[in-house]
Amino acid sequence: MLRKLLVITTLLVSLGACTEDFEKINVNPNTPAAVPIDYLLSQSTLYIPGSAGDPGYKSWRANFIYASTVIQQMSSIEVGFYRGTVYTYQGDLSEAYFVNSYPNSIKNLVNLIVLAKADPKNVNILSMARILRVVEMAILTDLYGDVPYTEAGLGFLNGIFSPKYDAQKDIYADMLKELDEAGKAFNAASYIPKTADFLYAGDLDKWKKAANSLMLRLAMRMQKVDAAAAQTWAKKAIDGGIMASNDDTFAIKFSNTGAGTNSNANSWNLGTGRGIAAGNNIQWAKTFIDAMKTRKDPRLTVISALKNGDRAIAKQRGVPSGTDATGLKSLDETNLDNYSRVAPNMYALENPFFIMTHAEARLLKAEAIERGWATGTAKTEFDAGQAAGVRQLASYSGVVADADVATYAAANPYPAGALDAKMNAIHTEMWLVTGSTLNHIEGWSNWRRTGYPVLTPVNYPGNETNGQIPRRLRYPQGEAGINPNIQEAVTRQGPDLFTTRIWWDK
Amino acid sequence: MKKHVLIFKILILTLLTSLGFAQSVEVKGRVSGEGGTPIYGANVVVKGSRQGAISDEKGDYRIQVPKGSTLTVSFIGYVAKDVIVGNSSVINVSLAPQSSVLDEVVVTALGIKKEKKALGYSVTEVKGEELTQARTVNLANSLQGRVAGLNIANTATGAGGSARIIIRGNGSISGNNQPLIVVDGTPINNDNLGSAGMWGGGDSGDGISSLNPDEIETITVLKGATASALYGSRASNGVILVTTKGGKANRGIGVEINSNFVGESLLIPTYKDYQYEYGAGNNGIKPTTIAEALTSNSWGSRLDGSSAIQFDGVSRPYSAVRDNQQNFYRVGSTFTNSVALTGATETMTYRLSMNDLNNKSVIPNSGLRRNNFALNVNANLGKNLSIVTNVKYILERTNNRPRLSDSPGSATYAINAMPTSLGIAALEANRYNADGSEKTWSDNIYIQNPYIAAYDWRQEDKKGRIIGVIEPRFNFTDWLFVRGRLGFDNFNYRNLSITPYGTPFQPRGGMNVANRNFTETNTELLLGVNRKFGDTFGINALFGGNLMRQVYQNSNYGGNNFNIPFFYDISNIDPAARNSSENYIEKRINSVYGSAEFSYKNYLFITATARNDWFSTLAAGNNSILYPSVGGSFVLSEAVKMPKAINFLKLRGSWAQAGGDTDPYNLSLYYGLAGAHLGAPLAQINGDRVPNSNLQPLTSTTSEVGFDARLFNNKLGIDFALYTRKTTNDIVGATISNTSGYNSALFNVGQISNRGIELLLTYRVAGNKDFNWDASFNMGYNQSEVVSLYGDLKTLRVDENRTRIAYIHQDVGLPYSQVKGFTYKRSPTGAIVYDSQGYPMQGDLVNFGTGVAPTTLGFNNAFRYKGIGVSFLIDGKFGGVIYSGTNAYANRRGLLNTTLEGRETGIVGVGVNEKGEPNAVKVPAQQYYERLFNIADPFVYSADFLKLRQVIIDYTIPARVFGKSPIKGASISLVGRNLAILMKSTPNIDPESTYNNSNAQGLELAGVPPTRTVGVNLNLKF
Repeated sequence: MLRKLLVITTLLVSLGACTEDFEKINVNPNTPAAVPIDYLLSQSTLYIPGSAGDPGYKSWRANFIYASTVIQQMSSIEVGFYRGTVYTYQGDLSEAYFVNSYPNSIKNLVNLIVLAKADPKNVNILSMARILRVVEMAILTDLYGDVPYTEAGLGFLNGIFSPKYDAQKDIYADMLKELDEAGKAFNAASYIPKTADFLYAGDLDKWKKAANSLMLRLAMRMQKVDAAAAQTWAKKAIDGGIMASNDDTFAIKFSNTGAGTNSNANSWNLGTGRGIAAGNNIQWAKTFIDAMKTRKDPRLTVISALKNGDRAIAKQRGVPSGTDATGLKSLDETNLDNYSRVAPNMYALENPFFIMTHAEARLLKAEAIERGWATGTAKTEFDAGQAAGVRQLASYSGVVADADVATYAAANPYPAGALDAKMNAIHTEMWLVTGSTLNHIEGWSNWRRTGYPVLTPVNYPGNETNGQIPRRLRYPQGEAGINPNIQEAVTRQGPDLFTTRIWWDK
Repeated sequence: MKKHVLIFKILILTLLTSLGFAQSVEVKGRVSGEGGTPIYGANVVVKGSRQGAISDEKGDYRIQVPKGSTLTVSFIGYVAKDVIVGNSSVINVSLAPQSSVLDEVVVTALGIKKEKKALGYSVTEVKGEELTQARTVNLANSLQGRVAGLNIANTATGAGGSARIIIRGNGSISGNNQPLIVVDGTPINNDNLGSAGMWGGGDSGDGISSLNPDEIETITVLKGATASALYGSRASNGVILVTTKGGKANRGIGVEINSNFVGESLLIPTYKDYQYEYGAGNNGIKPTTIAEALTSNSWGSRLDGSSAIQFDGVSRPYSAVRDNQQNFYRVGSTFTNSVALTGATETMTYRLSMNDLNNKSVIPNSGLRRNNFALNVNANLGKNLSIVTNVKYILERTNNRPRLSDSPGSATYAINAMPTSLGIAALEANRYNADGSEKTWSDNIYIQNPYIAAYDWRQEDKKGRIIGVIEPRFNFTDWLFVRGRLGFDNFNYRNLSITPYGTPFQPRGGMNVANRNFTETNTELLLGVNRKFGDTFGINALFGGNLMRQVYQNSNYGGNNFNIPFFYDISNIDPAARNSSENYIEKRINSVYGSAEFSYKNYLFITATARNDWFSTLAAGNNSILYPSVGGSFVLSEAVKMPKAINFLKLRGSWAQAGGDTDPYNLSLYYGLAGAHLGAPLAQINGDRVPNSNLQPLTSTTSEVGFDARLFNNKLGIDFALYTRKTTNDIVGATISNTSGYNSALFNVGQISNRGIELLLTYRVAGNKDFNWDASFNMGYNQSEVVSLYGDLKTLRVDENRTRIAYIHQDVGLPYSQVKGFTYKRSPTGAIVYDSQGYPMQGDLVNFGTGVAPTTLGFNNAFRYKGIGVSFLIDGKFGGVIYSGTNAYANRRGLLNTTLEGRETGIVGVGVNEKGEPNAVKVPAQQYYERLFNIADPFVYSADFLKLRQVIIDYTIPARVFGKSPIKGASISLVGRNLAILMKSTPNIDPESTYNNSNAQGLELAGVPPTRTVGVNLNLKF
């Protein structure tokens, strides 16, 4: 029996000690530990407009619910949901861009930059990633002000779990430096990603122009607070070469496969995914439609239609900002179906997602010239930008005849005389371009800096701004309990309110 | 692994062939009790084997036994007796009634039966019959209020949802805190297969809910690590040991039939704390257009019965509708039928049972069907070898599990949001637009029509599960045995969910099919010694090893946007928009363990155990941990002479450690492949948690002292325990700022302490031949504290409510699961601060208290007069708080009666402005109350409650009624559960309401309202 006992005991001990294959068992067989770097570039790019699962998450909340309505490009009578129309706050809407970007686009771009740096042959991917990171960070800081920048997205790489909030001033300085370095570093002799580049399919010259154009955009943003730096960077951008045709427009390409991943985020919200255009949830604002009508803007019939599809100019009618369901009753037209909303061609899933158009670059250059920061003729740039903005709608299958472009230009000429009038002309065009390319977030930023066109705020009961157009979005309430660094930002920037002006918005 | 199974098989064969057969003789006799009354049904077993017989009505038994062996004769309520088989073939045995607890036997770790007096820790046993009469669809809920210190929270889903079982507090911040469920020796999976979070979702149930109470003999609750040290890492939160019924010797085949029918209705049929004075609308205006009527707000004008247009264009009276809940929710029912066959032959006993449960939830079109089959066979293959085989098959089908928390697809959310003047009949009648899409009734596209949520949104799941144990045992001698055990738990789960075509926020709908296959096998070998040396010393020792292997194989496919309207099949989704995934997850734990119990003179017992676990989920070098335990018990009343009033007194104490690991694949970063775009494949960093390659096992240390006393002729029983439990190196998946790119990170540094008391008092108030009255009171108090977190970190977020202003945190120095929310901004003197426009301002994030009630209690009374019994159970929890999302939204929508003030006049908030001057700005009521939404204070309540949990009236029909019919016994009972909430302080909602069973407790939103059940139970024995 002793022998039997010995056998059993030996057996038992060997049971436990048999762990040689444990490390192999604990390797996840479903997900790779490394992937080709192109894959990461392509996904990181798509994360800027949206993310898988709900591709329209941040576009809906930040671009439509807040930005488009705040600057009266769009409006909604659902004031309890489309809160930008009446300047009220709802946490999950206000924070959406912030909470969606860091764990998706920022994390993956930061990681991609580290991976690309490790191998000199990936210098072009590195430059693209650096530029794309600036694109996303610029939107974040323009929406919220001081935000995590230098320490953002480094949870795994550096073990930073509570990133500090950088001052917007410093963020801008670094973003400009990044654009400069990244643009210069492109090297045609190195590996060039083509299919993974959804912006320019590997066209490095276009990337350089995009980097310079974005540099111009950021430079002009600093016009009020640091004119010297603004001038330096605007000059550098223009000298380096900005976009010169609509082919250069910086936009992410999409396709209509039916999948959320392949779909333009704005289209997803307006059409297939959320159906907010046909569902009478949001319409063009009266301010926007009236402006287009007054200016005889040929874009109107491209961007706008009634619910039944009618595009007749005479029938187009925008919803007055600040109108709720009760307010609708006292208008001439009480049926929402008869108000203008985004026309279906504007939300085909394959439409490009615009980050910066050629038109904007030219219009900004016009301003730079007027301010004496660049050489050239402002009117030439204005005219080019104005026409480019109209023609950009070809991207939405809206071909505008040359004659209509000319008519429009004739009706809205570049003014002579005072700078204010010129600024009004330039930035009203900017407002129309951003509105008609559904880039409302950029439209809001540009409006905050310039104040053009002049908008009449609404004063709805219970608004958060005392009847003033909001100057920023509020931070996620969730940050308060988990990232003590937010306190420093609030102390530096001012209370976490819609009315607090961010650094460049003085 | 394979190699070991082979060795195991060889060993069994060796044992089989080494069997010797001794000469056997027939013994017969009579078993009698006090005054020579025959005992029917007494067990007569050959000691050390499973060979046995049962006495008949005359008390007679007959058995074949090896010569020289010992017979153990036992019967419930009597002291078991051993008699040696000598030369006489007639052995009459008289049993003495049990006068003390000295001989109570309980099932302990690894299924070993032990005398309760030998235990150095507290165990509680719940008998099967206590679970069958007033049954609950999820077995765990039947344990509510029954065991001191057991804290059970059930998800507010109605039948089929999961339960959260906590013993002696929460030991881990983000790891599992629930006990290990062991059925007949094999651990079973108790994972929650899906739950609601802040963004909504349904609860897909857990593992313990599948068990059939009819099959259960006893449930033993092993509290804390001491009791469960032998189970190792997975038992650091205690163990719930379920022992199912085995076969019984009968003449012929014994048949037992049980039928149970209960009806179910809302316990809170109307929201009493809603207002019914103002109707649908905004800004004090009654809607006069459809656009105005499309609202979930009740900020309209005073209800006056006039005609008002509604969402569907139909005008109806502008008056209060109070019965929306009663009209939407139906009377639910659960009909349970079970049949069990039991029998025995010379060499084996068996029990076969079948069960059918048919549940209709109070939510229309929702319900659960469950069938349980169980076969237990206990075979004696000769003198020294026996094999126990238990196999269970469980088939569950659930239709339309309710969605909780956030609004999409949730009927409860929608009903809670309906304006006071909107009747549910209008929503029932007008669900669709002309094109078949959902007609929205509010301005929020995410709020469904409740009938669409119940009928058009589909949520179907099916789970087939096999749980089995094969357990051969060989006795070398009467004091040495070896036991093998192969336990397995396998289930296949399929879930189909459909978002219908025409859903406002997803116009073309979507679907998802999830398949999960889970298998856990445990292969165990155990060597046992149980020897007495004279009457003084004894040793009871075990040495064993176990291989645990767990595999999940999950697959998913689905997609959004159907092409052909209302046709729900994967083929109807664009190929590029379909997604599919396949997941293989494996985990292993190898273990070696041993225990030794020494006894001295039947009153002093010392037990020591040790277990070493090796985890596959941790890196080599960090993956092995040894945990010891030691415990002692001293039966004072046996050792020294006690005063007459003390019949029994035992002191006990113990100390133990147990460890825990993490989930597979948590050590390094992976990438996820995510399809392609324009021909380019896509990949991103997988997951939103920062992995940690240096994770170590966590350690949970428990100490316990206590006593067990019986006083005054055993009338009064006191069982008291005092414990501390400390978790160090807790593996924490903590929420971090998502600006880091991740939502959480894994740390290895948490420390949590729990201290508490448990008290069980039993008192026989009256007891004589005809009338008994037994009262019992149990309570548990657990004080938890988060001692430290990672580095300087003082607070960690673990959950968030959909309102986004209330959270669950773990804060250093405070009890577990703090409900945290934004409070009012206050002036230095404490006055509420209003902004320049007159609205209350949001202040800091503050703690409101713990969401886990520290005090739990239960009070049970059982009366029996002859054949009639009445019992009732009251239970309660105290000291916790809850944040109600339901009430926060109801306030914002103008539904709460607290929103009546100032509707006509406007409100001047009492407090100061930012300059410190008294606030004098008047604001409209709607905007004032809407702004209150950003402040948690008004919606945090004490979660204290007392409930009349259960009442049973039963009647045992006297045997004489049945005469010579084959019926041997019958009983009928009237049963009621959750009959009344005796005390609560939460308006509208059930203070127990929670939308998931996660570690974050204390948040509520749109749960299914609590229900009461009343019914009848009929039991027949043939």
